[in-house]
Amino acid sequence: MKIRESELPGIGQKFEIITRNDEKLVIVIHDDGRRELYHFDNEHEDVISSITLNDQESRQLASIIGGMVYKPQALETIEMSLGDLVIEWFKVEPGSKAINQTIGSIDIRSNYNVTVIAHSKKGKKQLNNPGPDSIIETGDTLVISGERKDIRNLIRELLTDERSD
Amino acid sequence: MDHLVFEVGTALLLVALAALVAGKFKISNVPLLIIIGMLVGPHAPHFGLIDLRFIESDEIIAFLGRVGILFLLFYLGLEFSVKKLMKSGKNIVTGGTYYILINVGMALLYGFLLGLPLKEVLILTGIISFSSSAIVAKVLVDLKRTGNNETELILGIIMFEDIFLAVYLSVVSGLVLSSSGSVWGTLLSTFIAIGYMLIFFVIARKASGVLNKLFNITSDEIFIIVVFALLFFIAGFSETIHVAEAIGALLLGLVFSETEHSDRIEKLVIPFRDFFGAIFFFSFGLSIDPTTLGGAVWMVLGAVIITIIGNFAAGMIAGRKSGLSHRASANIGLTIVSRGEFSIILANLGIAGGLMPILTPFAALYVLTLAILGPILTKESKHIYNILNKVFKWTPPKVQKKQEKEVH
Repeated sequence: MKIRESELPGIGQKFEIITRNDEKLVIVIHDDGRRELYHFDNEHEDVISSITLNDQESRQLASIIGGMVYKPQALETIEMSLGDLVIEWFKVEPGSKAINQTIGSIDIRSNYNVTVIAHSKKGKKQLNNPGPDSIIETGDTLVISGERKDIRNLIRELLTDERSD
Repeated sequence: MDHLVFEVGTALLLVALAALVAGKFKISNVPLLIIIGMLVGPHAPHFGLIDLRFIESDEIIAFLGRVGILFLLFYLGLEFSVKKLMKSGKNIVTGGTYYILINVGMALLYGFLLGLPLKEVLILTGIISFSSSAIVAKVLVDLKRTGNNETELILGIIMFEDIFLAVYLSVVSGLVLSSSGSVWGTLLSTFIAIGYMLIFFVIARKASGVLNKLFNITSDEIFIIVVFALLFFIAGFSETIHVAEAIGALLLGLVFSETEHSDRIEKLVIPFRDFFGAIFFFSFGLSIDPTTLGGAVWMVLGAVIITIIGNFAAGMIAGRKSGLSHRASANIGLTIVSRGEFSIILANLGIAGGLMPILTPFAALYVLTLAILGPILTKESKHIYNILNKVFKWTPPKVQKKQEKEVH
């Protein structure tokens, strides 16, 4: 995916996105907070359709596209970053150390500097607010947030099967 | 009895009416304000309390209009940024240079062909060379063209024009406003204007640190008072050394644009610019006797034609040079053709310099034409392109399809 960013003086900022399928999308963020999305034809010349969103709608749309509301089945892990902070969806692998332990007993927050934001039991779509006695089982998905290196550390040591490396 | 406030209130009511109608029909309010200003004035009727001749309030409305120019040009200066231009890239500088060369060149030629004296030619050139930034930006947003390929180049050319305008205004005002009839006196006042401008450029470069400290004021109330005090003081001071007060405002804006507080000043100034700017256009209309418009018709017609041709050609060259399609390039010229605030400011400079009175109705009629025709040309750019395409035969999609059929 190619993204080109340019300034539109007096109007706002423009992002031109060409996807891997060679489709063109242009997003214009107006200084007043409005967002406009333009979908172009195959020649990248004419606008086929466009949509205008206000600030709040754009944020909601962003979280839907970003998978924060619903995680597509095809993805095992998703990452999104807010500066240094990374949020990751991770499916607990069979044979990892954390299995059958509670979040409280491992004390992930103080040992790894990582917060478990949500815990989704295997096969269920909804995310639960995890308490210290949530038991981690194979196939559960944990939504964790922290700095990238801390998250990598936690995944390597607790959420994957070390012997399989 | 003193009805001053009531008269100004009546005038503002008319201004508000024009703005409302313009908003309703999604057009620029500049032409409507001028029209409504022309319709009233000394020749208008008056019924009882409502006096549409604005005799008592004439001076105060003219003064509010003068304040409007100060804000318009102060804002232009604030927007001016060499840094932005540097960042914008080669295409914009090349495109902007072509635009200026073609359009200023054609306008100068037109002026001399009409047999006008030098000062009048320079004002006429200014009136017909500079696009209306306000209308162009508005049209792009309204027609949902902001995502198009050519939009960056259009806005870039507009920015380039604004910067050129700042320099052009400073030099021309020095020339036009010089009271001396001799060549030396004129040259001297031009040099004063340029020198004065250079001083401001140096201040902008060197003193931004000091200004940053001065403007480090948390209270918006105190901030705005300080900024406006400087604006009026510097603008007024410029007048005392025969540099137009408007140019003083422009140069001060330019200095402030280099400080860290430029965005904050811009935000504070915009409502004042819009309000007093509207009064300026109204007061400009008020100064025109509509019966004089007829005398300018042919002059305007010629100017409109060369503006459209010049803008279209420059847009085509700029667009093709930066790798845009013929259609996108055609859109450039058909978008930047709108005229508005800057043409009126130039005409007003002509009035201040005591130049030929024909320039005023010329500017009014010219702006009325292109402020209305410009956005229509932009909107219908697709059809215009298709028609022109039949004549010039740029790579049209229809022909390509035909060729493909023939091959098969």
